Amino acid sequence: MADSNGKQTPLLDELEKGPWPSFVKEIKSMAKESPMCQDLLGQLEKSYGEKRGYWKHGGIVGVMGYGGGVIGRYSFLNEEFPHVAHFHTIRINQPSGWFYTSDAIRTLCDIWEKHGSGLTNMHGSTGDIVFLGTQTSELEPIFKELTEKDFDLGGSGSDLRTPSCCVGQSRCEWACYDTMQLCDHLTHHFQDELHRPAFPYKFKIKCAGCPNDCVASVARADMSIIGTWRDNIQIDQAAVKAYADGGMNIERDICGNCPTKCMQWDGKTLTIDNSNCVKCMHCINNMTKALRPGKDRGATILLGAKAPIVDGALLSSVLVPFIKLEPPYEELKDLIERIWEFWGEHGKNRERTGELIQRVGLGNFLEAIGVEPIPEMVAHPRENPFIFYEEYLEEGDEEE
Amino acid sequence: MARTAQEVADAMFELVKEYQGKKKFKAGDLTKAMIEKFGQADCDKQLCKTAIRTLMDSGRCVYTYFGGSFIELPPKEGAEGG
Amino acid sequence: MATATDRRTDIGPPNYSRFLPPVIKKNYGQWKYHEILKPGVMVHVAESGDKLFTVRAASPRLVSIKKLRQFADLADKYCGGHLRFTSRNNVEFLLTDPSKIDALIADLKAIGHPVGGLGNSISNIVHTQGWVHCHSAATDASGVVKCVMDDLQEYFTQMKLPGKLRIALACCLNMCGAVHCSDIAILGVHRRPPKVQHDGLNKVCEIPNVVAACPTAAIRPAMVDGKQSVEVLEERCMFCANCFSVCPAMQMADPLNDGVSIWVGGKVSNARHEPMFSKLAVPYLPNTPPRWPEVVQAVRTIVEVWAKGARKYERMGEFIERIGWPRFFKLTGFEFTKQHIDDFRHAGLTYKRSAQLRQS
Ligand code: SF4
Ligand code: SF4
Ligand code: SF4
Ligand code: SF4
Repeated sequence: MADSNGKQTPLLDELEKGPWPSFVKEIKSMAKESPMCQDLLGQLEKSYGEKRGYWKHGGIVGVMGYGGGVIGRYSFLNEEFPHVAHFHTIRINQPSGWFYTSDAIRTLCDIWEKHGSGLTNMHGSTGDIVFLGTQTSELEPIFKELTEKDFDLGGSGSDLRTPSCCVGQSRCEWACYDTMQLCDHLTHHFQDELHRPAFPYKFKIKCAGCPNDCVASVARADMSIIGTWRDNIQIDQAAVKAYADGGMNIERDICGNCPTKCMQWDGKTLTIDNSNCVKCMHCINNMTKALRPGKDRGATILLGAKAPIVDGALLSSVLVPFIKLEPPYEELKDLIERIWEFWGEHGKNRERTGELIQRVGLGNFLEAIGVEPIPEMVAHPRENPFIFYEEYLEEGDEEE
Repeated sequence: MARTAQEVADAMFELVKEYQGKKKFKAGDLTKAMIEKFGQADCDKQLCKTAIRTLMDSGRCVYTYFGGSFIELPPKEGAEGG
Repeated sequence: MATATDRRTDIGPPNYSRFLPPVIKKNYGQWKYHEILKPGVMVHVAESGDKLFTVRAASPRLVSIKKLRQFADLADKYCGGHLRFTSRNNVEFLLTDPSKIDALIADLKAIGHPVGGLGNSISNIVHTQGWVHCHSAATDASGVVKCVMDDLQEYFTQMKLPGKLRIALACCLNMCGAVHCSDIAILGVHRRPPKVQHDGLNKVCEIPNVVAACPTAAIRPAMVDGKQSVEVLEERCMFCANCFSVCPAMQMADPLNDGVSIWVGGKVSNARHEPMFSKLAVPYLPNTPPRWPEVVQAVRTIVEVWAKGARKYERMGEFIERIGWPRFFKLTGFEFTKQHIDDFRHAGLTYKRSAQLRQS
């Protein structure tokens, strides 16, 4: 099929085929009215032919006064495809849980129709609404119209990135704290950190309501806030029985998969040794009507996850085994600020929190932010005998 | 003598201008430089934070990004990138 | 010129409560249980007895405003104007009247959006920008995803897998979206050291920054043809492209050598096994646009080996841990190479340090 310019896109046309929704169809649907989308198709077809991208980065990063929310994007092929010579991305802070009304969606569409390519990502990897492709001159008008409708830009660069969360208590019976409220609260509380990059590198916060971690916080967030509970799993024995009667092999599939083997099923009653339950969610996930998390709920806070750049990938590790999370969340905010303080002082350019902890050692890091070391923080104590002490005794010193 | 945010913002601007093309400053670098220049007693982190906001809101400097966020004089559009 | 202070700034996102359907507002925090009714459809039941029906449909993530307006129209028609998106880029419609579900599904199908992705299925592939919009992509994102999901669509629209399967794609090692803990991760890789554009490098980049960017200390300052620049000790380069992120004069894109690697067995949920990283299954497949048949085939091979051999609930990583890596390579037919053995920091921890081996 030729686009309205008469240019052929035989390679991209192949991606209109097949049952899965096609992004090429999405771009083409806009090509008639948007010269940007036409040139995007042209450049992309060329990428498909030459097997390489043609974008360069840098330059503009925000609207006036902001250092985040806009990703400057320029084409190497600006002469061949002048309408995508500038093709900047805008990140717009999503509402917690990615809920919308049809009116809100239309508002966003109307703004973007006027000022950009009409292409979006719902949503970007960090969680923002992403508007793909516009020119520098459109940034201020877009920002003005967005803020008139109560939307604001998200983070980018060396700042607090847009926090995100799972649906939590709005729909999920397993949520152990109000993820949407906490996410919204932290986002509003740290607006300056989000819009004016002042960190050594990015910092991500993700809020998951339970250990199922539907927002992948343990892998993707510098601070992973994962809901959990301290008391006993709530059991409805009649409902357990109903699962057994329905053909579920509780012994093999539920008890057998419990990581600490703390469950027992005698054919009539399910018993759980809650002191050995590690809140993995397996049994609850699969007997939704019979089992529920306990009532004394809060969250575990883990720190330090990141993708491989610069110094290798990390998963977050435990900082606070259990914390109650109720507004105004002072204890949590205070902890976050102590972490930023130390990182801001000692972090190198492009060093994430996790890498800083690796470099200085978790022990030293804990000391700096005023948190006591406890065994919950490690998989096991050290194996290597090269132990550091800051002081030693001299002959004649008083033993303490 | 305690400094005003405007004074600190001006000093930051001079520093960025002086080193433009030679060294890129992050917000943290500017903060450290100002504390050194004016002394901890007269210029703390909070003041520097306000000063940076003053500086950026004035449009005299802009944020840029190259694998990290920097504070620079406004560039010519499209000039960077290889 | 208007100054920034005249403007409305730092207002943050609109509060979510403005967008919640009445049934959610009423039962917030009071949900009792949920059930999957059929592929892509679930019901949440509240303590009050109220029910919320969710219909989940696939999306290509890159969607036009025309499509978004169609979604908005469907939300008006069926859900009192309420919809949401998931962390894996699916779109969800929130209904209170179950009698409307089938008509909604039919309307979604008519505009090309299959319903599914719940329970023991493959959900949407989390992915990145690729050649559509990013500077450092070693492969395309949306295109590869489209091809893989065209092939695996049956596993999205049906629930016939032993457990959940989460696939993710990142087009370079920056891994926007951190794919490194997925059941199957498709990762774009460069395989050639940066080609340094000595001309003007000094002007666009700070040399000490470029040198410091390299995790393996492969970059050092050098005078080239009288210009201040850098040189790369090629044997130390592991193609991470970190230097390119801080300096555009360190060109990484190279059609002859760029391609795709495939990783398996990662997870983020705590259910049963703790979260774990994905491990290397296939170090390199060439970029073969527009349909990437080699990648599609490799992913299908992995899915089928797992689907056939896994026990109920067993995720990819749990399955492989149980059968052992030697058997995984045997079953998939993937070649085990030098590249599969880690040689970065703490590599020794990944060596097999016991005699516990299956000998047949
Ligand atoms: S993380 Fe837990 S609480 Fe949140 S949506 Fe997933 S299962 Fe529900
Ligand atoms: S939540 Fe996990 S650890 Fe706890 S009883 Fe259930 S299966 Fe066992
Ligand atoms: S993964 Fe790499 S290439 Fe892909 S969008 Fe992210 S930074 Fe760009
Ligand atoms: S690609 Fe990575 S390893 Fe190679 S020179 Fe650049 S920073 Fe160093």
